[in-house]
Amino acid sequence: MSGQSALRGPALRMGGLVLALVLLVVVGVATGGERFWSTGNLITVLSLAAVTGVVSIGMTFVITSGGIDLSVGAVVGLASVWASTRSTQYMAEDYGWWVIPVTALIVGLVAGLINGLLVAYGKMPAFMATLAMLAAARGLAEIIAGRRTQIVFVEPFFDVLQARPLGVPMIVWIVVVVAAAGWFLLNRTTFGRRTVAVGGNAEASRLAGIKIKRHTLYLYGLTGLTAGIGAVILLARTTAGSSTHGTLLELDVIAAVVVGGTLLAGGRGTITGTVLGVLIFSTLTNVFVLNNLDSSVQAIAKGAIIVGAVLLQQWFASRERTTST
Amino acid sequence: MVDVDPDRAEQRAEQPLLRMRGIVKQFPGARALDGVDLEVRPGEVHCLLGQNGAGKSTLIKILAGAHQPTAGEVLLDEEPVTISDPVAALKLGIATIYQELDVVDGLTVAENIYLGHELATGGVTRRSDAARNTRQILDRLGHKEISPHREVGSMPAAGKQIVSLARALSRDARVVIMDEPSAVLDSEEVGNLHRIVRELTADGVAVVYISHRLEEIRQLGDRITVLKDGRTVATGLPVADTPTRELIKLMTGRTVEYAFPERSGVPEAAAPVLEVEGLGLGDVFQDISLTVRAGEIVGLAGLVGSGRSEILETIYGARRSTSGSVRVGGKRVRSGVDGAVAAGIGLAPEERKSQGLLLDEPVYRNITLSTFARMARGGLLDERAERAAAREQVEALDLRPASVDRDARTLSGGNQQKALLARWLVHGCRVLLLDEPTRGVDVGARSEIYGLIRRLADNGTAVLVVSSEIPEVLGMADRVLVISDGRAVHEGPAEEIDEHAVLDLVMEGSVA
Amino acid sequence: MSSTDDVNQPTQKNHPGSREITMTSSTVFRTRRVSGAFIAAACAALVVAGCTSNEPRETEETATGPVTTTENDEPGDEVVIGFSAPAADHGWMGAITSAARAEAEKYEDVTLQVAEGTNDVNVQISQIEGFIDQGVDAIVLLPFDGAALTDVALEAMEAGIPVINVDREFSSPFAARSTVLGDNYGMGVSAGTYICEQLGDNPDAVVAEIAGIDSLPLTQDRSEGFKDALDDCGLDVDARVAAEFTVESGEEQTANLLSAEPQIDAIWNHDDDQGVGVLAAIENAGRDEFFMVGGAGSINMMEEIQSGDSVVQATVIYPSTQAADGVKLARLIAQNKTVSDLASIGVPRTVQLYAPVVTADNVEEFLPIGFES
Repeated sequence: MSGQSALRGPALRMGGLVLALVLLVVVGVATGGERFWSTGNLITVLSLAAVTGVVSIGMTFVITSGGIDLSVGAVVGLASVWASTRSTQYMAEDYGWWVIPVTALIVGLVAGLINGLLVAYGKMPAFMATLAMLAAARGLAEIIAGRRTQIVFVEPFFDVLQARPLGVPMIVWIVVVVAAAGWFLLNRTTFGRRTVAVGGNAEASRLAGIKIKRHTLYLYGLTGLTAGIGAVILLARTTAGSSTHGTLLELDVIAAVVVGGTLLAGGRGTITGTVLGVLIFSTLTNVFVLNNLDSSVQAIAKGAIIVGAVLLQQWFASRERTTST
Repeated sequence: MVDVDPDRAEQRAEQPLLRMRGIVKQFPGARALDGVDLEVRPGEVHCLLGQNGAGKSTLIKILAGAHQPTAGEVLLDEEPVTISDPVAALKLGIATIYQELDVVDGLTVAENIYLGHELATGGVTRRSDAARNTRQILDRLGHKEISPHREVGSMPAAGKQIVSLARALSRDARVVIMDEPSAVLDSEEVGNLHRIVRELTADGVAVVYISHRLEEIRQLGDRITVLKDGRTVATGLPVADTPTRELIKLMTGRTVEYAFPERSGVPEAAAPVLEVEGLGLGDVFQDISLTVRAGEIVGLAGLVGSGRSEILETIYGARRSTSGSVRVGGKRVRSGVDGAVAAGIGLAPEERKSQGLLLDEPVYRNITLSTFARMARGGLLDERAERAAAREQVEALDLRPASVDRDARTLSGGNQQKALLARWLVHGCRVLLLDEPTRGVDVGARSEIYGLIRRLADNGTAVLVVSSEIPEVLGMADRVLVISDGRAVHEGPAEEIDEHAVLDLVMEGSVA
Repeated sequence: MSSTDDVNQPTQKNHPGSREITMTSSTVFRTRRVSGAFIAAACAALVVAGCTSNEPRETEETATGPVTTTENDEPGDEVVIGFSAPAADHGWMGAITSAARAEAEKYEDVTLQVAEGTNDVNVQISQIEGFIDQGVDAIVLLPFDGAALTDVALEAMEAGIPVINVDREFSSPFAARSTVLGDNYGMGVSAGTYICEQLGDNPDAVVAEIAGIDSLPLTQDRSEGFKDALDDCGLDVDARVAAEFTVESGEEQTANLLSAEPQIDAIWNHDDDQGVGVLAAIENAGRDEFFMVGGAGSINMMEEIQSGDSVVQATVIYPSTQAADGVKLARLIAQNKTVSDLASIGVPRTVQLYAPVVTADNVEEFLPIGFES
């Protein structure tokens, strides 16, 4: 009986998210009609969800493992700046456009690995280690960029990243691929199993022979890598690198992940939920702009959604617990 | 010291202080209590007995004001009362000391004792008054040496328990409920606890005492109430006149032999599997050498704090040894847990819930926690193989309910222990380290666990087991090492030593 | 996929500000090309190791305004001026401090003491206290928060040090000897008036507004001026979004806005810093049926205007030379001089700067005072 309810719980939660999204879409269609329900607008919604979406996939892993990464926004900024300095761009002109995305990915990965080293081997609380990285990465980005906006002038970079295979922007394809890879990694591989195990009970996992330090290092590296991908997407979309890129992104990302149903305490994570969470916030913004509503009202609605989702989550959790004892 | 007087219960046959009648507690989907009656007199130690899941915890929570009964009434001095919340319970003079001691680690002893009813004038705490009163209460409890200004986080479990007790006294409690208070204590501390309980009852305080240890109930209790499946099956049984067999029968509904499986005898030729030489860990334990052969069960006996658990954890690589070596099958084991696991050592830890299980993950994933990576191909999980392996173990160990998809949280203590053993069976380990394998396992399920461990040994596993219940070690093991103050003071066949002898050795050891 | 040929072809103008840089940089690069091929790994390592250089090929011109010389510029008494402004976290604010420095350097009788830019009012207060203790001759102060810095400015005035308040006003008229203000309301009016001129004959025209941080009074002032000016010619703001002065937020808000409004005639973007993102979004959406007016006056936007084929037709100046004006006035006050082009004696109490509209016709004139975003 409780076996069933354990199955019912996640399905119900997912149902709630889908319902919320459908509700938003209905409101969008009712108030915006054609303007909302057009290919162009739906692609806009997806494109705007791209950066948050990609980084949220990485964050889902860290949060599932019981950690947190506050530095993603700053790392996006740093990677975008590093990948768009004049010297990087000259190199890209000489060797190929890929120098720019590769630089962004490496910068993100290295920043993430530093986070991982501090958390796993320095035994720092994740909150503090990544808070330090937040400050440092943003500062470094400002120094490198000299607080200037760095316009990208390597045309082949845009030829590739602003292309629209099958009419859908490349950056949306990137999110789709990252999300699919993330789902597979979390649900079908030993890496995912370790992530859930470490989040569920780190001590038990350690005593069962899982190398939790090494795994923690990889987890933060992965999140840093997705921040690097996020930086590439931002470069493609805004045509410029800036130390202000990704400002407060960490909050949007954490909100999307938690609203999606991943437990902030760790031990349970869902990529599908995260994707839905990201889409809900992106659609919300779109519907608000469509109706020419104040950004302050939008902020309130965002807050209400977060509160509602977390309350719902706790309610499901407590129901599961009482029915199973 | 007050001696136990067999007639005491009768002498105190006055009007009951606390009475519960027909208490029912319905949770969504489950009925935890289904008609509980309880009658506690002033000045008695009233023991509450029952297997896990019998409803003891729920009953305590109702008395503590944490749960509201669905039906039934609670009377104090024959007056019906409503215990709406924990504060109301304290106001009525009912104090509860939980198994997980609810003290705040970051506060001092005095601050903890006056937590929630601070001595204060206009919001400013009167620290010296609190300290003076605390000293008086601690004095009454026989613990003058504890400073009111000590931070509670730095104290051992026994000390925290004293603080909890002191808090109950500071509230002028008339009924003190103690949930397995001796579980975290070693025998010397248990003696002290018993003395305090007797002093409390001498002052007219009623103590509701919950314990799994029948021995303890015999020493301390006046009367017994037995719960089974949320119902009172017997109440007011005088301790002195009720044989143990009768109690077990009431609790289980069947007569259970507290029986150990036959020793099968280790063949002389059996090869040594685990060889520990001169192992030490700082000043926790030193120079421990032992050998476990294939098919042999070796027990470590000793008091809490003697270093038993630490020895297991160090062999397992969870703690870094400061001297000595560990070999399995003649090969030196790499340091760290993964080295030990790779060498074929498995550990079923003392704290199953916090150290062993992923409570919100299905049983099969708990069983394959050490092996999922090995079953996987190229990093891809093979859940079918995992389920199959788990199902095989669930059947072999008679793990109930026989579903591999239930969350581990929903299993009883005994079945959780089986899941942990299954983990190492799937792993195929050559050495199994068991820390308190029957803690929190009810009496009925214990002999099953004993049988399982013996079967493991018969299949050629070398088993090293630690338990704080000396008869358990002696009954289960082929050979026993007695540990005292971090040193092995005796080694020999389990059949050739009895509980008294072990205690003698331990006492001598700690004096020296 | 990647080919150096791409680089050498004249690239199409797809991205703001890209053309010139692309062409010249590839030329330069050919001269310093290292022969032989780096393998990808080595290149990546190099990137991480040290490719953070932003050295341009040619030295940039420092901003120099229209040169006018008066007899006031003759050297006078040596004066020490203390200067404090918020952190240069965006292009305009960066230009404020560099313009002030550049102005001070023109005078051999001025020593400008520049405090490290900060967004922490407590730090800024202690900077001013430091100037008072030091006994400087005048203080030029662009406060992070006008009200919060009023007390310490009063303190300075009471100590006999004239304070020149720049851009963000104090809450007491006694706290400053003179105040130099931009005109946020006027910016909105200028932008609105320009749009009216362009669309005046079409009352159904769709006008959109991309504001900056909505909670700031300056944003509200700009929006109000914009609305009032449009009202005057029978237009109104049909769609409005608020970004956050950053490229990213400009792109995001504009993408949503363009999606919501399939047909637009004119857009006013409050801030050229976020304008880079606004233009990127317009580019991504492939829209060009409207014209756009910028705000603040960055070099970027002026170059767009100059190019003639951009949706950006105009930008409204919010002078980044205000603090430079403040330095000039501080010098005059400290040296007891007066403003020579005014008949009245003494430096005025308040100077409110004009918010001119830059178009293709006059962009040459304004380029030198544009700031790098």
